[in-house]
Amino acid sequence: MPNNVTSTSPARASGWLSISVAKGQQWLRRSGIGGQLFSLVIVMGIFAIGTKGKYLSWPNLQVILSLTAIPAIIAIGLHQVVVLGGIDLSVEGIVALCVVFVGFLAHNKFNSNDVGLWIVPITAGIGGLAGVINGLLNTKLKIPSFISTLGMSWVLWGLAVFVSKGQTTPLLDNPLSGFVNGYVLGIPDLALVAIVLFMAIQLIQDRTRFGRYLYAIGGDEVLASQAGVKVDRTKIIVFGIAGVFYGLSALFLAVRLDSAQAITGNNLLFPAVTAVAVGGVALTGGIGGAKNAALGALVITALNEGLILLNVNPYAQEAVNGVVLVTAVALTIDRKKLGFIK
Amino acid sequence: MVEVKRDGPAKTKETTTVRRKRAGIPAIYFAVTLLLVLVFLFTMGNRNFLSAYNLNTIASYTAILLVVGLGQMNPILIGGIDLSVGGLMSFISVVFVVSLKTIGIWAFPLCIVVALMAGFINGNILTRIKIPSFIATLGTGGILTSLALIVSPLPVDAPPSTYALLEVVNGTLLGLPNLLLLTLAVFALFYVILRFTTVGRNIYYVGSNIRMSWMSGIDIVRTRNFAFVLSGLGAAIAAIMQSCSQYGGDPALGKVYILQSIAAVVVGGTALTGGTGGAINTVVGALILGVMENGMNVVGVDAYFQQSILGLVIIISVALTFDRSKTATIK
Amino acid sequence: MLELRRITKSYPGVVALDGVDFTVYENEIVGLVGENGAGKSTLMKILIGLIQPDEGSYTLRRKLVALRDPASATRLGVGMVFQDGSLVPNLSIMENLFLCHELSFRKFGFLSKRAMQEAAYSILALVKVETDLDTPIADTTPEVRQMVEIARLLWLARLYNQRNPILILDEPTTVLTENERQTLFSILSEIKSQASIVLISHRLQEIVENSDRIVILKDGKNVTELEADRASIPDVEQMMVGRRFAADRYHEDEQVEPGDKTVLRVQNLSKRGVFEPIDFSVRRGEIVSLVGLVGSGKEAVCRCITGLEKPDSGSIALGGKKLAWGSPSETVRSGIGHIPIDRRSEGLALGMTVAENVNLLVLDRFKVAGLISPSREKRNAMHWIEECRIKSPSSWTMCANLSGGNQQKTVIAKWLSSQIEFLVLDHPTRGVDVGARDEIYRLIRKLTHDGIAMIIMCDTLEEDIGLCSRMLIMKDGRLVREISCPRFKKPSPSEIIGSIV
Repeated sequence: MPNNVTSTSPARASGWLSISVAKGQQWLRRSGIGGQLFSLVIVMGIFAIGTKGKYLSWPNLQVILSLTAIPAIIAIGLHQVVVLGGIDLSVEGIVALCVVFVGFLAHNKFNSNDVGLWIVPITAGIGGLAGVINGLLNTKLKIPSFISTLGMSWVLWGLAVFVSKGQTTPLLDNPLSGFVNGYVLGIPDLALVAIVLFMAIQLIQDRTRFGRYLYAIGGDEVLASQAGVKVDRTKIIVFGIAGVFYGLSALFLAVRLDSAQAITGNNLLFPAVTAVAVGGVALTGGIGGAKNAALGALVITALNEGLILLNVNPYAQEAVNGVVLVTAVALTIDRKKLGFIK
Repeated sequence: MVEVKRDGPAKTKETTTVRRKRAGIPAIYFAVTLLLVLVFLFTMGNRNFLSAYNLNTIASYTAILLVVGLGQMNPILIGGIDLSVGGLMSFISVVFVVSLKTIGIWAFPLCIVVALMAGFINGNILTRIKIPSFIATLGTGGILTSLALIVSPLPVDAPPSTYALLEVVNGTLLGLPNLLLLTLAVFALFYVILRFTTVGRNIYYVGSNIRMSWMSGIDIVRTRNFAFVLSGLGAAIAAIMQSCSQYGGDPALGKVYILQSIAAVVVGGTALTGGTGGAINTVVGALILGVMENGMNVVGVDAYFQQSILGLVIIISVALTFDRSKTATIK
Repeated sequence: MLELRRITKSYPGVVALDGVDFTVYENEIVGLVGENGAGKSTLMKILIGLIQPDEGSYTLRRKLVALRDPASATRLGVGMVFQDGSLVPNLSIMENLFLCHELSFRKFGFLSKRAMQEAAYSILALVKVETDLDTPIADTTPEVRQMVEIARLLWLARLYNQRNPILILDEPTTVLTENERQTLFSILSEIKSQASIVLISHRLQEIVENSDRIVILKDGKNVTELEADRASIPDVEQMMVGRRFAADRYHEDEQVEPGDKTVLRVQNLSKRGVFEPIDFSVRRGEIVSLVGLVGSGKEAVCRCITGLEKPDSGSIALGGKKLAWGSPSETVRSGIGHIPIDRRSEGLALGMTVAENVNLLVLDRFKVAGLISPSREKRNAMHWIEECRIKSPSSWTMCANLSGGNQQKTVIAKWLSSQIEFLVLDHPTRGVDVGARDEIYRLIRKLTHDGIAMIIMCDTLEEDIGLCSRMLIMKDGRLVREISCPRFKKPSPSEIIGSIV
């Protein structure tokens, strides 16, 4: 790669159009999502042909967006832990706990509580607190994140079931109901929320010190620490943010279903991890951002929705996901840099 | 003389002495102590905990978990992980029962062979295509789960005509339940492989320092493939055992075992990073989980709370047994 | 303006620095030279606050300082560019430049990319880097990385308002091409007007040409200090290495005459861009020393011999049989052993016992009915522990608990216990204390008695001369000279060093 290439030499520009195209290409190459965008186009193309265009109909696209929203939010929360070099398996537990709290505190059938819109910060707070505990277990007690988050997931899930006594709590007149199920200019509100959250996290990653520290730790924790990065603090915040996102997802799920039960959170983990990996976030850390996580969720959801539309055997869904996952990682992993893979 | 010291900032800390200290006490002692403490607590809670009947219940539950845990132990020892054990168990479970009807006793070897192949494929995705085992087995696990559902979307009962074959697991030999004897045999097999064979020892070398192993001429491709084949074997035997005891196959059988098998391995003191631990650790780990599962019921812990306590025990156990001196950073 | 006086630092078993004085004046380039083990890196680590001296004073700009950590040194304008580099690989040039010091660029809570770019351009102009700022460090050349680190130090000094910062460059030119070196030194002489530079290098030519002053250390003590324009390379060499040869240090009396049989024959071996076609052979019981600066290609030659790397041409034959490429298991099976430079990451499984490490290559030998017999294993381990005098509480002690010297002996024992014919030793006594060093030399001599042929690369020229019976000198990828080192008639380092540098 030439050393002295300056990318912004206006002298050679033959118009703003070619500059924009060149910049676009460079952005695409740099951003690391070129592959995913390409495969998304291919996937959608295949389904479009297979369903004779029905796949690309506006109502169907709306469905896809609507279905992507929550997995995307979860993936955006989760991927930052992966960028650090760890893993967060506590999704289901945190969601279970938060859902149960929603059932307890929001206007519901079983008690007279009604915290109204306060439920949003409350749920986010509970999720965030759980995330912070994850972070503390990992940094202060030095427990590998695989185990600490796995254990936490079980602890919280059990707590959720215990508190709710396994019951399903119907929600009543939830003020968020209209929002959660509504659309703005044809786009599902929740998808907009996901987009806003994605942009916010991406902005943080690109333009704040915190973002730098995140990637520095993921790239080389020892060197980052020596350069002065406060590793422990950053990690705890990252886990905390993840928890907040899981909490919000829990709230949206509960409101969408108009009921709260502990098992709402089940089966959220593996699709989220798949989304993160397919989107191009490296399991080893230091690579990949919010756009990768969100895009990965979109690709997976678009894929699965298309399979349903094509009446593919529903049992084959996991297999397809598995193949896509392995293929995506096989194509995007940078083997030169990794040395011995485990 | 004219050499350059590769002394970077990372290596200048004088921490070698610190590193050495913690390495003293083997993890197994912590694990066994924890187990004994738990047994003690549960017995205090309920005298019947140590009754023959209850011990038998514990044993039956633990047996299956132990067998799949012994399989899972191998990929973990080399520094990887096998997330496909769940899918494989589900798949084998239904294939076993379905093929019992058609090929009778040949169902046993068929399932074993299929599982060995699955393990071999897992290994090769890692060693040849160079995809991290977390991803590779997550993918193959999904494929196997699907295959299980396609073979049989719902649980399938073994026809009474095959009950005689099921006696391999359900019967007794010299007064001892076959289930336990089989578990013992599997344990013995894995123990012997790891302790007394070259390829088993190589699993430790590779897990402890893969670069050194490669440079010393160890065939790291073969070793790692073998670790995943063993994992497949464990999952298959566990699935067969479970299907026999339940007189039927279940395409959702394995789901819970993915994380439970990992828990059984690490709770006993085998590090997720590989290189340390072994069959005995896994036995202790499985026992801890089995004792917890049973003990909480016997003592009367709220059914809903049990999952939480299990999670706590896992965290505590790994906190105690994880050897931090060996890794510079905790991920 | 910076003065270290009577600095003393000891580690268990070795005195790294003994009453060393070191001064840096404003706007100068100081060359620091000395062999490995002379104390240069220890001195520099004290300079930047990474370690504290046992005795001595540190005065900076006429004030006594006691540095707790490198961060305090940075705040005072003292920084070091390490040889391995300390830039985070996945972050971009700009991100690495300002890592952890981005506060000055904050606008409404977010980092202003434009402000950072402006600052980056201005500071990178000083070091003449024009690469795109967003390039991840991992994708840049070593030259660019070097410059970015220098730029960062300069910028940090600016940030903390330190006039005339002191930059320490540890072997900056080893990974650079000739052109890049010229660029580096021209930049350094420009930077000189606003900073001081301490240059550590083994390339005496560079030191003499580019420094104002040269400081020479040997065995942890000051030798002398001279003005560069009055220094000649031979003089410097002499002062660096000249010492009377302790003949029995390397057990010279044990040096054997090589047998007739050729064990290893290297023919026409080459690797594009690293080393040109090279031919040599090693006979039974012979120790051949491969000498050269880093970048001479000698490490790559050894890697080809041990199967870690594939050459582009040529052949390597062991006992007449040609070896396959790029496969360590092939070469090991044929009978070539390798004592690697980094025993912790490449030589041992630290988490496993001494016995397990020693027996790694020969497990098949202990098999009874197809299974490894623990008693036979133990017996073998105990035998080699005794042979190699490995000081270990027991055969089942974890290797991590052994001292460096004993760890190294364990590595040697591992290879000894398998039937090797040829051994490649990569800096076998690095990081090993004096006592263990002697035992390793003894072991090496014993190996030659058993007819094992060896290629060795040592930490010091003296060690190379002392141990080998023949020396091959490589420079810039070519075999330039072959010197015989018969026992009791060894050449002196000063005779040889000219060919190396």
